Amino acid sequence: MSCKLYWKQKIPLLILNGAGMSVLTVFLLLNGINGGSMILILSVWGAALAGYLAGAYFLRKAQLDKLLSLAKQLEERYLLPEVMERPVRADDLVFYRLLKLAGRSMLEQVSEAKREQAEYREYIEQWIHEIKTPITAMKLICENHRADHSKDLLVELEKTNRYTEQALFYARSEHPEKDYLVRELRLFDVVHQAIADNRYLLRQYNVQIVLTETEDSVYSDEKWLCFILDQLIVNAVKYRTGSPVIRFFVERSGNEVSLCIADNGIGIIDSDLPRIFEKGFTGENGRGASQTATGIGLYLCKRLCDKLGIGLSAASNEETVFKLSFYINDHIHQVQG
Amino acid sequence: MTVYKIMIIEDDPLIRSELRNMLCGNGYDAVAVSDFSTTITEVKRENPQLIILDIKLPGENGFSLCSQIRTFSNVPIVFVTSCNTDMDELNSIMLGGDAYITKPYNTAILLAKIASLLKRAYPTGNQEAMAYQGTFLHLETSKLECNGQQIELTKNELKIMYYLYKNAGKICSRNDLIDFLWDNQLYVDDNALSVNVNRIRDKLSAIGLHDFIKTKHRQGYFI
Repeated sequence: MSCKLYWKQKIPLLILNGAGMSVLTVFLLLNGINGGSMILILSVWGAALAGYLAGAYFLRKAQLDKLLSLAKQLEERYLLPEVMERPVRADDLVFYRLLKLAGRSMLEQVSEAKREQAEYREYIEQWIHEIKTPITAMKLICENHRADHSKDLLVELEKTNRYTEQALFYARSEHPEKDYLVRELRLFDVVHQAIADNRYLLRQYNVQIVLTETEDSVYSDEKWLCFILDQLIVNAVKYRTGSPVIRFFVERSGNEVSLCIADNGIGIIDSDLPRIFEKGFTGENGRGASQTATGIGLYLCKRLCDKLGIGLSAASNEETVFKLSFYINDHIHQVQG
Repeated sequence: MTVYKIMIIEDDPLIRSELRNMLCGNGYDAVAVSDFSTTITEVKRENPQLIILDIKLPGENGFSLCSQIRTFSNVPIVFVTSCNTDMDELNSIMLGGDAYITKPYNTAILLAKIASLLKRAYPTGNQEAMAYQGTFLHLETSKLECNGQQIELTKNELKIMYYLYKNAGKICSRNDLIDFLWDNQLYVDDNALSVNVNRIRDKLSAIGLHDFIKTKHRQGYFI
C-alpha cells in the first residue's frame, strides 16, 4: 500500500477537522472562554484525531500486507479469493465478491478452452489414423504395379507419411507417458526399421549406409525411438553433400550406451549448434535457398528425448554426429536374471 | 514346396485386393473375407495357415475375432492397424496375436514377418537347396556347390545368388537386385553391387564356373 497515496486521500478529512476546529475556536472566543482552556480543548481534539488516524493506518496496512504475502505464497494466484479471509468492512466485502465473480468466470473460460483443445487434439489423432488407410492403399498400389513413376510416388508417399507422423507425435508429445510401451529393444532392430521407413528417400539420393552392427539392447519405446531416428535420417539427407554417407554405430562409456548417427553433410556451424533444438530455429543452413527448414523436427526430437530420459547431443566437425544416450540400468538385468 | 494359404480380413476393398495381389505375387495363396457377418465360419471353412487381421472392422472388431479364432485354432495371426496406440498393441498381444504391424506398412517388413511366422509355425526341417544347371545353392550353410566342389559365400553374396537363382533365366535389373538387398537389411549401393558380383565371379571361376553370371548391358544380371 502506498503510504503517500493513503494520506493524500485523507486530506478532505483533515480539512474538515481543521474547519471544525476553526469554527469551535470562533464559537469559544465569542463565549468568552480563556486561551488556556481553548488550547486544552483543541489539543484533546487533535490528539484523538491523530490517534485514530494512525491506528486506522497501521491496522489497514497490516491487513493488506497479509493479503499481499498470501498472494505471493500461492502458486495458483487465481485461487486467492478462495483462500483469503472473508473481509468484514462493507466496501471490502463488495470487492471480495467482485474478485470471486471474476475468478469464477475466468475458470469457466479456461476450462472451456481446455476442453476445446482436447477435442481438437482427439480429432487430429483420429484424422491421422484415418488418413493412413488411403496412404497404405496408395503404397500397395505403387508397389504392386511398378512403373517409371511409381518410385517417385513412393518417395512422396513416404514424405506424406512422415509429415502425418510428425503431426501425431506433436499432438502426443505433451503426454507421451500415456502412450508408452517400454521393452527391451535391440538398438539395430530399430535402426533397420527406421531405414526401411525411409528407404525410397535414401535410394533416391544414393545415400550410402554404413552400419557397425552390435547386439546392444536398451529399454525404451520402439515407436518413439523410431520416430526420433526418422527425423535424424531425414535431416542427414536434407543437408547432404555430393556423395552422402550415413553411419550408424554404438559407443559405450560407463553405464551409458549411445547410438550415434553420423553424416558427411554440410554440417552445423558452431554458433548455431547450441540452438538447433529450439522450436522454430532454422539456422544458417536451414535458411539457405534450397532448404526449407521448419524448426520442428529437432525440437520434437529433443522434447521426446527429454520425456523418454534419453540424452540427445549434437557435434559437428568433419562429420555431423547426433548421439542418443541411453542409461543402462543393471538392476533390470539383476531382477530378470 | 508347399503353398501356404493366407486369409485377409480387412474392410477397405482396395487394400484388400492389393494385399491379395501382393501376397499372390510372392508365392502365397491368398483369400479375402468380404462378408464380415460370417467371418468365423469363413475361417473355419478355409482353414488358412496364417491370418492378416485388421482391428477396425464393421460389426465385430479384430480383437473379438481374434479371441474367437483362438478358441478353435492356433493359426498365426498378424494384426494390421492404423491406430498405433500402445493399448492396441498390448491388447493384440494379450489376445493371442503373433505380430502387430501399423499402417502404412512396409511390404518388405510385412512379408518378412509372414515368412518368419510361417517358418516357426510349420517347421519343414529339411535343408533348403536351390538347384540350377547342376549347381546347388545351400541357403542354410551359405555355400555354392558344383561338381562336388564347394565355395563359401558371404551374407551379401548369398543374397545376391539367392535372388539370381530365384529368377533363374530371367534378367534381374540392378535396381531390383538392390531393392531386394535393402529388403533384407543389406544396404548396398550401385558400386558395392558391382564389387560383390565381381567377387562372386572370381569365386565361381575357382571351381570352374566361368561366365556363370552374365551381364546384360544396361539391364542387369542373369544366370
